[in-house]
Amino acid sequence: MPQGQSWKIGLIVFLFLGSLWYLYPTIKLYTMSETERTDMAKIDPQGWIDLQHKAMKLGLDLKGGMRLVLQVDRSKLNPDEATDAVDRAKEILRNRVDQFGVAEPVIAVQGADRIVVELPGIDDPERAQELIGQTAQLEFKLLESPETSKLLVDRIDRALEAASGVDTTSKSADTASKPKEAVDQLFGKKDSTDTAHTQSQLAQNSSDTTHPGDTGAVLAPQIPKESPLSSLLDPAGDIGWSVNKDEGILVRSMLARPDVQKLIPPDVAFAWGTRPQFVGGMQTERLYLLKKPVELEGKYLTDAKPSFDQFRKPIVNFQLTREGGRKFARLTGANIHKPLAIVLDGRVESAPEIQSRISDRGQITMGGTATYENANDLAIVLRAGALPAPVNVIENNVIGPSLGQDSIHRGVLSVIIGTLAVILIMGFYYQLSGVIADFALLLNGIYLLGVMSILHATLTMPGLAGIVLTLGMAVDSNVLIFERIREELRAGKTVRHAIDAGYSHAIVAIVDSHVTAMITALALFIFGTGPIKGFAVTLFWGVGISLFTAVVITKTVFDLRKSYQTLSI
Amino acid sequence: MKMRIIGDTHFDFLSKRKIAFTCSGILVAIGLFAVVMLTLGKGNVGIQFTGGTSVEGYFAQPVDVGQIRQALSQAGYADAEIVQITGRTQPYTFLVQVKAEGDATQKAQSVVSALKQYFPNNAFTTDSIHEVGSAVGKTLQSQTRWAVIISLIGIMIYITVRFDFRFGVAATIATFHDVLAMMGIFYLLRIEITILVVSAVLTIAGWSLTDTVIVYDRIRENLKKFHRKADFPLAVNNSINEVLARTIMTGITTLVTVVALLIFGGPVLRDFSFALIVGITIGTYSSWFVASPIYVEWENRSPKRYRSS
Repeated sequence: MPQGQSWKIGLIVFLFLGSLWYLYPTIKLYTMSETERTDMAKIDPQGWIDLQHKAMKLGLDLKGGMRLVLQVDRSKLNPDEATDAVDRAKEILRNRVDQFGVAEPVIAVQGADRIVVELPGIDDPERAQELIGQTAQLEFKLLESPETSKLLVDRIDRALEAASGVDTTSKSADTASKPKEAVDQLFGKKDSTDTAHTQSQLAQNSSDTTHPGDTGAVLAPQIPKESPLSSLLDPAGDIGWSVNKDEGILVRSMLARPDVQKLIPPDVAFAWGTRPQFVGGMQTERLYLLKKPVELEGKYLTDAKPSFDQFRKPIVNFQLTREGGRKFARLTGANIHKPLAIVLDGRVESAPEIQSRISDRGQITMGGTATYENANDLAIVLRAGALPAPVNVIENNVIGPSLGQDSIHRGVLSVIIGTLAVILIMGFYYQLSGVIADFALLLNGIYLLGVMSILHATLTMPGLAGIVLTLGMAVDSNVLIFERIREELRAGKTVRHAIDAGYSHAIVAIVDSHVTAMITALALFIFGTGPIKGFAVTLFWGVGISLFTAVVITKTVFDLRKSYQTLSI
Repeated sequence: MKMRIIGDTHFDFLSKRKIAFTCSGILVAIGLFAVVMLTLGKGNVGIQFTGGTSVEGYFAQPVDVGQIRQALSQAGYADAEIVQITGRTQPYTFLVQVKAEGDATQKAQSVVSALKQYFPNNAFTTDSIHEVGSAVGKTLQSQTRWAVIISLIGIMIYITVRFDFRFGVAATIATFHDVLAMMGIFYLLRIEITILVVSAVLTIAGWSLTDTVIVYDRIRENLKKFHRKADFPLAVNNSINEVLARTIMTGITTLVTVVALLIFGGPVLRDFSFALIVGITIGTYSSWFVASPIYVEWENRSPKRYRSS
């Protein structure tokens, strides 16, 4: 063996073994059967986690899962709070995401105010989005007193009665026969199917209205002529009202009217409950009249845990900071036996009555239909603390697992077929030299997978495409060399000289072309997001490695062949 | 038994350059038009750039598009785009797209529940959901434009450094031509411009450039042998002919792998693979008929290399 070759061969073998070593976890993980997996998870949980961590990750588009991009609304914060807010939001999201038990969640800050959350393999994306996407602002507010509330509702009633009175007299006889249109005009609604639906529902449920005022004119059968608002509101003790779920639309539309809005004093606001309840077989929503000032901000909350009270009902035990405790003590001390609304994102989670003066430890009793999971969800939201600023979901991607599986199969299939095709072509066209090039190509592939394993790179669908493309381009280096060698042979050079000349001339072109491809890959990597980054990574490393294999490996082999008289090329 | 696809060829590429310039001119014009239209939002732009909601899923039983439209109109999405996707394992696969309003991204759920409510006896399974706020879409648009511009600049700098300034400019023009030609063809064929397609375009830019560099490299080598001005076009022509075998061979191997992707890669990669095939064809064409002729024309009009005959 000519001198200097042994170390090169050693290097090649070393890299090959190294790549296999790094690839082993991936191969093992993806060839394990279902039973083997569950067995391992039981017997060796730490090992199981390690194996998953070491194996190559599959991107969302191959595994299925969810990717959210959230934007922190920093408009109401001063600059210092703003930078802090995004970091806090990230930590809060991390806490919440941890609850889902997803194997490899990704939470990363993007730019100045965006956070990317990736949950691979999640099986309930709706629940996840609710929990994460509606990351709420937590506030504690007092309710307006029942007497004042009733006064306001009465005032609204009278205003609405007056308004409907005006409208009916100005209409022609036509409207008498078109109740739906009249209703639409009264409430400025475009979609009449909703009211028709509500109408039929109301006709069925007559027992829930305290004032059966919907006898009135044919004109508006579903809106009570007398006491239009209060007839739909069922006082729920001293804490707000219950509204029939079907009538909720009507109430909302009434409250949204500008003439009604004018009547609402500036220091109060209506707020809906988060969860519908069941009263006598009927689904109802809760409506509250809250005092606007925020009595306590959510940021004072330090901990919240779900539990059961003595009646086996789910509750949440919570804890405040010392300063929060002081504030809370003042608040609760002055408002004993009054309800305190826990407001999450503008909706009232619950409004428990303040039993006694509470400082920094307290208990929230969930509503009647709440399950332990609801208590847990509430605790999650509370425990991670309220966000210092509202957060909006600006991007949402969900890939179903079946689509992911399908993509993997197709991706792998096209890689195999593409590789086979290239191998055949090279073998036929360049004969033995072609076979050598094929060998280098396969090594190329293994090195690439090894590098990706080391980098813990994520394999995405575009990444697979990148691999396929890289294979096609990888042979280019060899094609360049071979064509050049053929040329030199045709020009009459000896085998030894042809090989040398071929390589030296081709190297320049190879380096130039590969570097430009890598520049493109770099640009894609910097500006791309998610799956595109995966493509850029495989392209970049694939091209880089092909540079190496073409130059080092085939050269080594050719150097060995220099002593031959003829060259099979 | 040695196989040779191309024997010793002596095509006169340069003499065809007038025709080539005309063709390229048309392609570039279409491309510019396409880019302008796409930026204005006309044409098939993916929701990642425009913002919006896209839901893809399949029904268990046959469904009529009209019924789906009804279901969505009732839920308030009268102007949703509904497309039936063919070639999937599930025969009744549909894609629903709704335009974005501001940053609202909760629409997907309501679309899905609208469909489930309207077809209570026909199970609907969601394959994928993509929702993007419109602000995000705009950011992505500008980011992508920057990626393309910076790539081109980077390439021009590199080529200038390795060869010379004129090569650099000619190569950049050729690459720019490739990008525009591709966009033009996509626009005409109404292919959805997703970020995947854009990355295909960037990849081809790089690929076409390597092709061009190979030719330039040979030109540079041959120019050392030809000293007379009259021989300059001959040198360039010879160079292209000499590397022809390699160009075709590499083109074939790359094309074969991309065709494998196209046929076997599944619906997600279909547009991407097609984009690559179009790009490879155009890229090869531009190395022969755009990059080199530009260099020659420039030299003819303002000789730098050969001052005197």
